[in-house]
Amino acid sequence: MSLPRDPDHDLERLLADDGGDLAALYRRLPKAEPPRRLDRSVLGEAARAVRGHTPRRQRWLLGVGSAAGIVLAAGIAWHVGQDALRREAQGEWPVQGAPATPSRNQNYVPVHPLDEPAPKRAPPPAQDTVDAAAPPPAQDTVDAAAPPPAQDTVDAAAPAAAAPPPPAAARPAPRKAEARAKEHAPPLAQPLAPAPPPPAPAAMAAPAPQAAPAEAERAEGKSGEGFAAGITAGAADATKAKVAPAGHGTRSRAVSAPPSSSVELRRDMQLAPDDWLAHIRQLLHQGRRQQAIESLRLFQATHPDHPLPAELRALLD
Amino acid sequence: MLAYAGGDLLAFETLYRRHRGTLYRFLLRSLRHRADADELFQESWSRLVAARERYRPEAKFTTWLLQIAHNLVVDRFRRQRPQASPEETETVLRSLDAPESEQPERALSEFEQRRRLQLALEELPEEQRIAFLLRVEGGLGLEEIGEITGAGRETVKSRLRYALARIRARFQA
Repeated sequence: MSLPRDPDHDLERLLADDGGDLAALYRRLPKAEPPRRLDRSVLGEAARAVRGHTPRRQRWLLGVGSAAGIVLAAGIAWHVGQDALRREAQGEWPVQGAPATPSRNQNYVPVHPLDEPAPKRAPPPAQDTVDAAAPPPAQDTVDAAAPPPAQDTVDAAAPAAAAPPPPAAARPAPRKAEARAKEHAPPLAQPLAPAPPPPAPAAMAAPAPQAAPAEAERAEGKSGEGFAAGITAGAADATKAKVAPAGHGTRSRAVSAPPSSSVELRRDMQLAPDDWLAHIRQLLHQGRRQQAIESLRLFQATHPDHPLPAELRALLD
Repeated sequence: MLAYAGGDLLAFETLYRRHRGTLYRFLLRSLRHRADADELFQESWSRLVAARERYRPEAKFTTWLLQIAHNLVVDRFRRQRPQASPEETETVLRSLDAPESEQPERALSEFEQRRRLQLALEELPEEQRIAFLLRVEGGLGLEEIGEITGAGRETVKSRLRYALARIRARFQA
């Protein structure tokens, strides 16, 4: 290969479009290429750079998603726990609250929630839920194990003013009782059978632990029937008008106020209005204020048109 | 490059496949070590990717790419002095040899010519070699070479002239 020796001529040929003979010779040199691993590396880096923000966002989403999942799981666990507590209270509170000796257990007076008129300010349902989880079974135990008072079985429920809130077991029952009462609404307008007699002393014994909800539900149903039986059809309608929308109030009342003896209240309902009021005054004189208030409320619901004495009206306020 | 800066990865792949050989050969013949060439090849593209949003279409992409590579080569020269021994150079040159598939005489002639050219490039001073490679490998003009190397047009012409003279001398030896 003969190559010209003139540097200026070489430069001109090098700067020409074809680059001259030296450029041609250079182009015949081995065409070294980058290895494939470099290709992969460079292209991968370029792809990561373009999508650089995506993994960051995905990491952020991953974190938020994990936190949301944890919160969701905690919420579900909390609800399940609440439900378990409620079920436990329904099915086991008599066991937890049952006295150690059966003899004392027989002195326990079952409490039957009543369908009463709604209190003027019904607490929100959420409060019910909170209360439902709150009842301390230990207090029930103490009450149940307390020595029986000298009064009769009806009076045994009287100091309920200072008693702890009723167990949660009694709470779902009113709902079912209300539903059942609604189902049996037409018969309420008809003359019904007389109120069932008060439960026998044997029936007043503490119910079997597993039968507590059913017992409460049954008692609730009986209470509704008895309540309807003691009044005329017109009064029943009037009472229904006040009682029916008071489902939550009744339920919350069963939670917030100690239950009174439905037996005694049923007896009160059979009294003449004036005698009933006199009985309420007697309760007040005996210091059984809570019992008197409950009886008075029931009186007002049963006899909405009957004027109340001023001192008793003040009791409702 | 603007398309890639906007997120079009296919545009980058097109650019890469078009310029990967030029860049790699420029680096390999400038540095004479394959490992160094590999390293700076990857580094050049990394810097280009990192600076993709600063690219302005006023400059040719080849000029921009080779300028990045040139800066890396100069930095490497500064760190690597003294340069590779002749034995290492000979090893690299042998590795770059192509298989001879032509007539024995002609193949020997071609082989000898390529070998002499490679040796001549190896012996060139860095600035002259880079100017020559930018011209023959990158296809750049005097202004573009001066832009990359930071030298004036006449300086680039002078470097190229000296480079050609040394190469001719190698062929006369």
